[in-house]
Amino acid sequence: MIDAASMRLFAIFSSRFGGDAEPLPEDAITRLVERARRGDPEARRALYLQLVDRVFRTVRGMLQSDEDAEDVTQDALLKVLTSLHRYTPRTDARFATWATTIALNTLRRRFRRRRPELTTTGELPEIAADAIDPTDDLDRARQRRALLIALSELTERERAIVSLRYGAELNASEIATTLGIESAAVRKTLERARARLGSRIETLLRPNGGTI
Amino acid sequence: MNDEQLTEAWATLEPRADQRRRINARVFAWLEAHDTSLASEWISLFRIAPFSAVGLATVSTVSIVTAAPLAWLVRALI
Repeated sequence: MIDAASMRLFAIFSSRFGGDAEPLPEDAITRLVERARRGDPEARRALYLQLVDRVFRTVRGMLQSDEDAEDVTQDALLKVLTSLHRYTPRTDARFATWATTIALNTLRRRFRRRRPELTTTGELPEIAADAIDPTDDLDRARQRRALLIALSELTERERAIVSLRYGAELNASEIATTLGIESAAVRKTLERARARLGSRIETLLRPNGGTI
Repeated sequence: MNDEQLTEAWATLEPRADQRRRINARVFAWLEAHDTSLASEWISLFRIAPFSAVGLATVSTVSIVTAAPLAWLVRALI
């Protein structure tokens, strides 16, 4: 059980060093939400740290560029942190599911008028302009590139489902709730997309197997 | 590739340090502004730039006082 003092210490350390947050159990998240609702800025910061990487990697899998993903992440997190009074803990859906639904709605609203960037298969990654962090190792950069290429070859729905599964780490029923579709349809699409994605990434990463 | 390998692959999509700093800065600047009352913004302005704050307060007051009669005059002329 994580007590309030540990969470406070964790929030201070995370904010000071900009470090990644270890995922907290759902009851600790619920307590943070309660504190954040009462205006505790450290609780709000701790919630932010729980979500920021998750939201970014989820929307990045669905969007064309890092810049778009930055904008959507920022807008989605602001929406989440200013809408905490609307969140009701449920046994069948985690806080992450609620936050991911907000992120997905933010993304849809933002790109409603720029549909092609989201939907056209084969147009997803801005690979050429995709900046590589000098501190990244080459393997990681190659893996990232391969993933973005493989994602660009999926349909919009497949991309959304795999991003929610592996980016947001939601299960099939949580994805179904987020997208408003049947769990069975999620499982079926996920299975198909996972196989295509896996085999394409492996081909791209094989020596002389691709262009990366 | 199995589930674990794909989850690891997705970790490569996480924001770089500079992107993370930008997102952090924007989100917390907005939240801070959202949390700060108008009165405390004015107090800080008086503390940081007293002359500009007095000027701004004067212009604002004059605008508020003259806005209604001016609007009435414009309506009468039209």
